[in-house]
Amino acid sequence: MQETATLPVTNEYGYFEIRLESIGGLGANLCGKMLGELGALYLSLNSLSFSSYGSEKRGSPVKAYIRWCAASQPLRINSPVTHPHILGIFHEGLISTYPVLDGISSDTKIIINTPLKASEAARKYNITVGTLYCLDALSIAMQSKSRINMVMLGAIAKASGFIPIETVETLCRETIGKKYPALIEANLDGVRQGFQMTESISFSESAQTHDKQNASAHGGGAAASQLAKEKYVWGYENAPVGGINTRPGSTVSNDLSPSREGYIPLFIQDKCINCGLCDSTCPDMVFQFAPGVYKGKQAMVNQGLDYYHCKGCLRCVDVCPTNALVKALEKDYPKKPWFIPNQDLLPDSITYQETGSNSYITSDSYLDEKRIDGGVV
Amino acid sequence: MNDNSKNPKSGAAAYAAQKVMYDSGNELAAYAAKQINYHVMGYYPITPSTQIAENLDVMGAEGLHDIRLIAAEGEHSAAGICYGASAGGGRVFNATSANGLLYALEQFPVQSGTRMPMVMNVACRTVSGPLCIKGDHSDIMYMLNTGWIILFADEPQMVYDFNLIALKLAEKVSLPVAVAFDGFFTSHQKQKCMVFSDDETVQRFVGPKLACDNPNTSAFAREDAAGENCFYSVLDLNHPISVGSYMNEPDVINNKYQLSLAMQEAKKKLPGLFEEFAALSGRSHSFCRGYRHEDAEVLLFVLGSSFHTASVAVDTLRGEGIAAGVITLNVLRPFPAEELRRLCAGTRIIIAADCQDSYGAGGGNMTLELKAALQGMEGNSRPIKVLSRIYGLGGKDFYVEDAMALFREALSDSPMEFDYYGITPGSETADTVKIDANGHVSPSSCEKQPQYFAPLTEEKTRPGVTACSYDSAQKKMTVKGGLLKDATAMPKRIASGHGACPGCGIPVNLNLLLKGIEGNVVLLFQTGCGMVTTTAYPKTAFRIPYLHNLFQNGAATLSGLVEVFHERQRRGEYPEGDITFIMVSGDGGMDIGMGSALGTALRGHHLILFEYDNGGYMNTGYQLSYSTPLGAKSSTSHLGKNRYGKTFFHKDMPEIMAATHLPYVATVAESNPADFIKKAAKAAAYAKDFGTAYVKAISACPLNWNDRPDTERKVIAAAVDCCYFPLYEVECGITTLNYEPEKLKKKIPVTDWLGMMGRTKHLTKEEYRPVAEEIQAEIDRRYARLLARAEHPLL
Repeated sequence: MQETATLPVTNEYGYFEIRLESIGGLGANLCGKMLGELGALYLSLNSLSFSSYGSEKRGSPVKAYIRWCAASQPLRINSPVTHPHILGIFHEGLISTYPVLDGISSDTKIIINTPLKASEAARKYNITVGTLYCLDALSIAMQSKSRINMVMLGAIAKASGFIPIETVETLCRETIGKKYPALIEANLDGVRQGFQMTESISFSESAQTHDKQNASAHGGGAAASQLAKEKYVWGYENAPVGGINTRPGSTVSNDLSPSREGYIPLFIQDKCINCGLCDSTCPDMVFQFAPGVYKGKQAMVNQGLDYYHCKGCLRCVDVCPTNALVKALEKDYPKKPWFIPNQDLLPDSITYQETGSNSYITSDSYLDEKRIDGGVV
Repeated sequence: MNDNSKNPKSGAAAYAAQKVMYDSGNELAAYAAKQINYHVMGYYPITPSTQIAENLDVMGAEGLHDIRLIAAEGEHSAAGICYGASAGGGRVFNATSANGLLYALEQFPVQSGTRMPMVMNVACRTVSGPLCIKGDHSDIMYMLNTGWIILFADEPQMVYDFNLIALKLAEKVSLPVAVAFDGFFTSHQKQKCMVFSDDETVQRFVGPKLACDNPNTSAFAREDAAGENCFYSVLDLNHPISVGSYMNEPDVINNKYQLSLAMQEAKKKLPGLFEEFAALSGRSHSFCRGYRHEDAEVLLFVLGSSFHTASVAVDTLRGEGIAAGVITLNVLRPFPAEELRRLCAGTRIIIAADCQDSYGAGGGNMTLELKAALQGMEGNSRPIKVLSRIYGLGGKDFYVEDAMALFREALSDSPMEFDYYGITPGSETADTVKIDANGHVSPSSCEKQPQYFAPLTEEKTRPGVTACSYDSAQKKMTVKGGLLKDATAMPKRIASGHGACPGCGIPVNLNLLLKGIEGNVVLLFQTGCGMVTTTAYPKTAFRIPYLHNLFQNGAATLSGLVEVFHERQRRGEYPEGDITFIMVSGDGGMDIGMGSALGTALRGHHLILFEYDNGGYMNTGYQLSYSTPLGAKSSTSHLGKNRYGKTFFHKDMPEIMAATHLPYVATVAESNPADFIKKAAKAAAYAKDFGTAYVKAISACPLNWNDRPDTERKVIAAAVDCCYFPLYEVECGITTLNYEPEKLKKKIPVTDWLGMMGRTKHLTKEEYRPVAEEIQAEIDRRYARLLARAEHPLL
C-alpha cells in the first residue's frame, strides 16, 4: 500500500522531524527504523533515520531521530533533531533527569508513556506548549502481549494526524510479519491500541519554545545543555592531559536507579544470616557489610543496601538461602529503612547524577528479535 | 544528498532496473558485496563497520550469496586472509575502522605493492586513545600513503555506488581500493536509496575476474582475447609464479614507480567508469563536487556527510546576501588536484574544516592537500586565502549552525589561520585541577578536587580472607580461608556506579577474584565491556591504579609495568613491598591478544592474566568469538536455512596457556565461589614467587546470552555441571580437578545448559540434534583427557 502523504507542517528547511527518547531495551531504535521505513516506502516521502550513536544496552538512554520531507526535496541535514514535530517519550523517568523536552514548540506533539492523565503530566513536567498525549503503553503492551515500541508506534501515527493506521499495519506485516510470523498478531494489537489513544491536551500559547539549550560561544551545538548541569566539567583548560582520571571511584556518584525495571530486592534483616552470598553475586556492590556482632560473635554484618547503585537485576534474591532478600515492586516501597549509601565514602553526602548503564553497543542484528518478541528464556 | 532528480524514473528504458530500499551505508555496502558475490571476506568486528559482515552473515545464512565469511582473530589476520585469497585469484572484500585499520596497516602496502585488487570498506572512526567509538576521519588518513585508491562516499547511496565502481576500478589497474565513509553518520543512517533489481546487472557491470590459472586464458597473459585484464594466481600449477620477492635497490624504486603509474592510470580511468555507471544507474559521480561554489566568495571545504548539512547553511547565507558555497572530495587517491582547483577558481577565501588533525602540521591532511593543490593554480593574481579548522573529532555532531559559524569566522575581521572549532575550556570552579604549561597537574589543586574515597592502603586490603603457604617438598600451594562470610571484609577495589548491564557477570567475577587477593593490586584492562563500563569519562570506577590498552597488547603492556616496578625497586627509586599485577581481558581480547598473552607467559613475568569468558564480542553487539559455543547464534553466526549458528568448537584457552608450561592455570566459576576465591589467592601467590598465572572465569551476559539476569548463577552452575566449563587447575604441570559433577551426581547433558540461553536454545530442538551431539562428544572428550591428566602426574 503506497499512500502519498502531505506533511501537515515543516520547519524552515522543509523537514518534518521526529525524536524518540527512551532507555535501552524498550525498542525505540526499532521504532525509529520502522518510522523511517514508513516514510520512505509507504508514505512516498523522502526519509532518513538514525539512533543516538551508542544505542541499546539495557537501561541506557537512547534517542532515535526521523526526518521526512516531500519526495521531490533532497534530505540534506544529518545532525540530530533538536526541534521535533513529534516527540515520543518511551520512558517517563527520563523527563526529570535528562533534557528530553528540549526544543518543543507549539508545533510539537508530545507523546508520553505514562499512566498519568495528560493534565496531570502537564502539571508534573511543566509542559505548557504544543499538544500533549498520554497513554499507558506499558500496560497496553503487557495486556496485548506486544511491546512498548509497537504501542508507541500506533500512538505516534495517531498524534501525527496524517498517518493512516492501515499503512502502519501494512508496514508491520511486511517487516515483523515476514520475519516473525508468530509475533505479528499480538504486535498489531499493540499498534492498534496505541492508535486508539484519546487522552490529550493542547496548549494554545503562541510559539514559545521550551528550550534549555545554551550553545556556547565556541561551537557548543545542541549538546551543551546536558553538560551544563554538572558542577565540575573537565575541558581543555583544566582536564588532566591524556584523558587521565584523577578521581578514583568517581562512578560512585552515578545513580543507577533508572536502570531498574520496576522491581527491587527487599531486605528483611531479621532473616539475614550474613553468609555473604548476596555480596558474591551482586554486580553493583550494593551490599554494605561492616564489622559487627552476629549471634554473639564478631562477624561481618549486612547493614543494608545502597539503592543508588542497584540496577534491579535480582541476582541476590535468587541466591539468598533464607529469603532475607525478596523481589518486590519498587513503587510499593517509597521508603526503605535498610537503604544506606556506600559506607566507604569520604564525604558525608554527595550529589548523585542519575544515569543508566553505559551505552556502547552499536550493532544489533542479533538483538532485533528481542526488540519485537521481548522474550527471554 | 539523496537528490531524487538523479534517480531514474521507474521504467525509464535507458537505465537498468532498480528498486527502492531503505538502508544504511553499512547495509548498502553489504548489499553491494552480496550482489557482486565476492569469493571471500576476511574480517574482524570493529564498530562502526561491523554491521557489514553481520548483514552479509544474515544473507549468507539464507543462501543469498556464496561469500565465504571468515571471522579472523584480529584485523591484521583479516588483511592476511584477504591477501591470500586475492593471490589465489579470488575476489576479496573487507571492512574495518579506526584502530582495526591501523592494526592491519602494514598489510596494505603489501597488498598494493604486489598489486592485488580488492575492496575494503572503511566506516571512519576516531583513532584511539583515549578509546572512542564515534566517527571522525583520523583513521582513513593513515591510508593516504599505502598505495591504495581511496574513494570517499558522503551518503549511503554513494556507498552502494562506490562499492560497485571500486571493484571494477581495482581490477582495471590492479590496485586495492578503499571505500570510506563517515562512521555512524553514513554507516548507520538509513535513507531512501536505489539498488539494481538484478544481481546480474551488477555482475555484468563489474565483469568476470580472470585469473591466469584459468585453462581458458593463456598462461601469464595480462590480457585475454577480449583485452580484459588477467591476474596472476599462485594457484597456477602449470606456470608457477613467486609472489613477494626479496627486492632492494635498484629494483624497489621501479616497483614503486609502477605503482605510481597505476595510480595515474586510475585517475584516467575513473571518469569513464563514472560515465559507464551513470549510463546504467542515472547517478553521476565525480572526483569532487561543490554546491553553489561557482560564484562563491567564501567556500567551506569539508569531507563526508557534513557536506550536505553545510549546503543548507549555504542556502541560508545566500538568503542573507553572502555568496557562500561548499566543496567536497569524493576521491582522495588518486588526488584530483586539477579538478579541485577548478572548483575553487572563483573564490577569495576557503575555510577548510578537517575532521582529523595532522598534529603539528598547522592543519588536517585535507587542508594540507588543498593548499598544495592550490599551488598549481595558474595566474596567481588573486591568491586564495585558506583557513584551517579542526572540527567534529570523536564524532561531535555537526549542525547547520556550526557550518554557519565556520562561514562567519572565515568572513570575520582577522580570523586565525588555524584553530579548533567546538572545544570547551571546562568549568571555572574553585576546585578544578590546575595544570602547568607542561601538562602537569599541580598536587595542591588535586587536593581541592572532591575525592570520594580514601586510598585503599595495604593494611585495609589485608583483612586475612585467605592465606597461602607453599610446601616445597610436595610442590603444592595450599590456601586457607576463602569463606564467603569472611570475604565480605575485603574492601571493593572497584566502586559502584559503573555502567555494566543489570546482572552482568563481569563485575561479579572481578569482585570474587579481588576478594581472594590480599594487599596492593594494580589492574590493567584490555578493551572490552569490562573496560568501557568502568571508565566512561569523566568518571572511573577504579579505586586502585588502573591502566588500559587495546586488546591485542594488554599482556605485553603489563609485562613492561611489572618489570619497571621491579627495576625501580632495585634502583631504590620505589619503596619496598609487593603489588599483585593483574591483566583483565574478555574472551575477545584473548582472541586478538592471544599472541601477546602467550609471549608474556613464555617470558614468565610475575603477573596474573585473568580472562572473563562470556563467549562473544559483547561490547560490539555480540559477534562470535572463538569461545562462543558451537551452534550458538550471534550477530556473525546467524541461524538460517543454510546455517546452524557458529561452525567451530569453543577455544580451549586454559589448555593453550598450560602448553606454555607456566606455573599456574585455573578455571573458576561464580557458582563455586569459595573455590574461586581460593584460586585467586593461589594465582597471586604463584605470580609473586613463580611467574605468570592464568585464571579463566566463565562470565554471564544476560543481554546476549538472552536469559534473565537473576538466573545467571544457575546458568553458570549448569555450564560447570555439564562439563562444558570444568573447574580445574594446573600447578607446575600437575592437573587437579576441583569439582567432579559425576561424582557428586550432578552431571547433566549439555543440552540442559544450552536450553537455558536464548542464544543456544534452538540446539535442544530435534532438527539440531546432530550439532548438540557433536558438542556433547567434544566436551566429553576434553573432560576425559582432564581426568586422565588428573590421575597421572606425567600427563
